[in-house]
Amino acid sequence: MSWLFAPVPLARVALLRRAVYLFVIVDVLFLHTSGYYHGWADPAWYQPLEMGRLLHLPAATVLLVELTRWGSVLFAVLALTGRFPRITGWAVAIAWIWFQYIAFAYGKVDHDRGDFVVALLVLPLVGAATVSDRRLSEAAGFALRAVQLTAIATYFLSGWAKLRYGGPEWVNSATMLRAVVRRGSWFGEQLLHVPWTLHWFQWVLLTLELLSPLIFVVSERWRRRMIGGWYVFHAMTYAAITIAFWPHLVMLLAFLPLEQYRDRFRAWRSGPTPKDEPPTDEPQGAGVDLGGTAQAAVPPGSRLRFRATQR
Amino acid sequence: MAAEPEVHADEVVRLPGRARAGLTALLLVLVTLFLAGTAVGEDSWWPFGPWRMFANSTAPSGSIYSLRIEVQRADDPTWQLAPLNPSSVGLNRAEVEGRIPQMTANPKILGTLAHSHSRLRPDEPDWTAVRVVRSEVLLNDGTPTGKVKETPLVEWVAP
Repeated sequence: MSWLFAPVPLARVALLRRAVYLFVIVDVLFLHTSGYYHGWADPAWYQPLEMGRLLHLPAATVLLVELTRWGSVLFAVLALTGRFPRITGWAVAIAWIWFQYIAFAYGKVDHDRGDFVVALLVLPLVGAATVSDRRLSEAAGFALRAVQLTAIATYFLSGWAKLRYGGPEWVNSATMLRAVVRRGSWFGEQLLHVPWTLHWFQWVLLTLELLSPLIFVVSERWRRRMIGGWYVFHAMTYAAITIAFWPHLVMLLAFLPLEQYRDRFRAWRSGPTPKDEPPTDEPQGAGVDLGGTAQAAVPPGSRLRFRATQR
Repeated sequence: MAAEPEVHADEVVRLPGRARAGLTALLLVLVTLFLAGTAVGEDSWWPFGPWRMFANSTAPSGSIYSLRIEVQRADDPTWQLAPLNPSSVGLNRAEVEGRIPQMTANPKILGTLAHSHSRLRPDEPDWTAVRVVRSEVLLNDGTPTGKVKETPLVEWVAP
């Protein structure tokens, strides 16, 4: 139980929210626009999903797609201000989920967006959180844990779905070849000349997916390395078949100590400031006493704070 | 630089027991829905449906199908390849591909593509006829053979 609520700094939730709500704006305006054009499709093509049957959601119209799209943008901008985080956060959730619903209720469901729904639903639960609030919070810990679990579930359940639909022979099928033929890039075309690469990629992929939950039992250092590994994997997938699971890439940020990265970035950008420096006349970094100055990369007093983060 | 005062980590904001129980129950509901979606669900369960991107097996010596549309325009009676994407007809290729039975049973539905096209791109000439063509890339042992088979499936002509 306590693992589920392991406290993390509220600042981390504030930063993840920024990433999530900025992504919402970019997503509805530039990345995932097929739902928008469904406003112009004839209702004859509408195939309601279970959610739509349950909530009696109508077929798309131009007015509805404009409302859900610009509603997503407006509420995301309000949520980015940090005021009324619950109301604005859940308003973004409703608008964005509805916009996605419209995109998927015409016969094709993308399989990379289910996990982002969880992020939009749980992040407002935490309530007020600012980027300078370093208090540890159990509610923040829960929200990040829920996002982490869902992000990793994406991999594990994708592996499971491959076994369900493709069967164990999936690893020896021509599925990746099909993907490259249908929407390959220059890089993907090169792989076609060495078909064993695509074949072996399937073995590696399914193995990694089914083992992905191990990320929760390894050390923090290895956890971050594994997240780095997944980012590299997604970059390669994009290079080969020009598909990226964008919302999922944002979800993976929930594993990282974002507030520490922000501190480091700000320290690097502004250089040493009098407030952060130890009371010494020596210019920082100029010392030759490496043993003593190596830890000065982290401001004194912050070190304990950095340690006290989610394991 | 920071507009807000720095708040330090010397306190932990705890959750009352009832809130913990409620959140745990919420998570269990989500886990159940996601697991059920993958085990027995379908795409229509979104967002809980199975994550089946690239989950289907493609036979190494089978074929890879894809669909395209060709149109006749008011100013050009020959069949021309037309873009089959959301900004042109309001739908994408996969959405049309999934409706082959419906289109062959009721070719009139292709007329809605022409209609959507004239609403989305009013500056372009209207489409007076639309046909759906399936192309099949033949594979042998995991490699494309270079052979492509084309089959027109269904056709609609403006009345």
